Amino acid sequence: MGLVRKYWRPPVLGLAVALLSGEAFAQGTPLAERIQACNACHGEDGNSKMENIPSLAGQPEFFILNQLVLMRENVRQVEAMVPFVKDLKDDDIRALAAHFAKLEPKASAEPVDPALVKRGEEIASAKRCVSCHAANLGGQEQIPRVAKQRIDYLTKSLKEFGDGTRQGADTNMSVPVAGLSDADLAALAHYAASR
Amino acid sequence: MINLIPCRLGLLIAGSFALIAAGSSSAFAQAGFSPLDKSNPAASKQDTNLKPHATPPMAAPADKLPVDKLKLPAGFKAEVWSSGHPGARTMVEGPKGTIFMGTRQLGRVYAITNKDGKREVKVLLQGLTQPNGLAVKDGALYVLAINKVFRFDNIEDNLDKPGTGVELTDKFNLPDTVHHNWKYADFGPDGKLYIQVGANCNICEINNGIHGQIRRYNPDGSGMEIVARGVRNTVGFDWHPVTKELWFTDNGRDWAGNGGPEDELNVVAKGKEGSFFGFPYCHANGVPDPDVKIPNPCAGVTLPAVTTGPHSAGLGIRFYTGNMFPKSYQNVAFIARRGSWNREQKFGYDVIVARTSGGKAKLEPFLSGFLDEKGNAFSGRPVYVHQMKDGSLLVSDEQNGAIYRITYQAKSAGKTASR
Repeated sequence: MGLVRKYWRPPVLGLAVALLSGEAFAQGTPLAERIQACNACHGEDGNSKMENIPSLAGQPEFFILNQLVLMRENVRQVEAMVPFVKDLKDDDIRALAAHFAKLEPKASAEPVDPALVKRGEEIASAKRCVSCHAANLGGQEQIPRVAKQRIDYLTKSLKEFGDGTRQGADTNMSVPVAGLSDADLAALAHYAASR
Repeated sequence: MINLIPCRLGLLIAGSFALIAAGSSSAFAQAGFSPLDKSNPAASKQDTNLKPHATPPMAAPADKLPVDKLKLPAGFKAEVWSSGHPGARTMVEGPKGTIFMGTRQLGRVYAITNKDGKREVKVLLQGLTQPNGLAVKDGALYVLAINKVFRFDNIEDNLDKPGTGVELTDKFNLPDTVHHNWKYADFGPDGKLYIQVGANCNICEINNGIHGQIRRYNPDGSGMEIVARGVRNTVGFDWHPVTKELWFTDNGRDWAGNGGPEDELNVVAKGKEGSFFGFPYCHANGVPDPDVKIPNPCAGVTLPAVTTGPHSAGLGIRFYTGNMFPKSYQNVAFIARRGSWNREQKFGYDVIVARTSGGKAKLEPFLSGFLDEKGNAFSGRPVYVHQMKDGSLLVSDEQNGAIYRITYQAKSAGKTASR
């Protein structure tokens, strides 16, 4: 850990400077350096400790690859990600996807409400979440892992699918969230995070 | 965050286009799937874990393309014409020979030109929402991305600098619903721009005044007329070269069984503009919907010229008028079937021929080999077909980001192919 810490600091400083200038990386940045930049927000082991920032550990490889391409292409518009994705080559994206897919997903430290988990399980069953997100909610191919994802990020994403500010790579997520209250969405988030 | 804006500009081929792309973000929420959808996978007796296949956002390397697996009738040959353009879908040709190609999820429009016998691929536009709708008229490229419509005049003189185009979105006033609304568009023999507006659900009651239509407009977006109603989702149409009637493919609903209802090939008969084609009440050759029930669901419904297979996803259609293929192919329709997702045993993934006559059609195989029936796996997804000036046929493959060119050469002089 000590070594990681030591090696850790300069890139973070570099990152701050990069953000100010709007340039995160020169082309040809080594993979390790790119991964460290990801880790600054998404967590050192790919499990995020930052509010509203998703964990990437154990996401399906194709899902990460697909989302990085869509962000690079300006189709999925996440402003904070732009400096990091804008000059990514296909090979960089393949390597990043392979890296994060291999990491072990861990639940965040957010408190889980058992009553919400129970309610969320009922809703998830009715909405057939497992048919796409897989039986263990670990995701598959283009569909993300939601198990052990951060509760705040899941809640935020579900709301965005509900109000149309986010569509996903296709429009499928707008169906299950239609008609659900904020409380229902929070229950789904607690349930998925607890799996 | 202001410092980020130059990055976004830098992302785009045409810098000022970023303003357009930015306008499609959260400020204008776009509705997806209709909340009225009545899909019932449990009642369908299908594997409820079926889900749409992912489209790779990167192209397959040229040496990994499945061209050697392709099968064609005697005398026909398939070769790779271009590759390296992920998401390859719609193809239209400019007067100077540029092939413009639309995509869905990737948001790109490509321009593919010939240089020294090889293809040069340019990303012409980027950051659009599902720009599947492309049409060419008088040297201008029309780009349709859900409800957004742009015209790029003299596009072939400006392939390196397409600019922002002329925005016609307000004139066309298309709905901003995304589901089944990646556009297909083409200019008809009457000079009007025909545009599909799909049903925004798998199966639901739709607003017939808005969804489930083929419309036509004057090129400037005025004079809208409804040409066909009750159309679930056509993403390909063409006009018969002789009768000038409009023929369109239509994709059947999902989650009503592995066996269908089958997809359709339909025709809008002369003088029957505005006909009702049955969605959501009546499918295929008169199959009442199991989830949206009304009395006499097929009354007044125009049934298809032919059904084109369960979940086969017939997309692009082109009537052949070239000189290269045998005479027996004159005026027949080539239809690309992208292949099934909502079916346990995969089906389609091919190009078929439809021989049309008197409002009916007969189907026969043409290009196959992408589907491994035993392994229940596929290696490519043909989506659109385009006839070149020399009479060869281009087929786009969305899965691999490639275009194949199909040519014909009679085996020996004096002997023509039997079909």
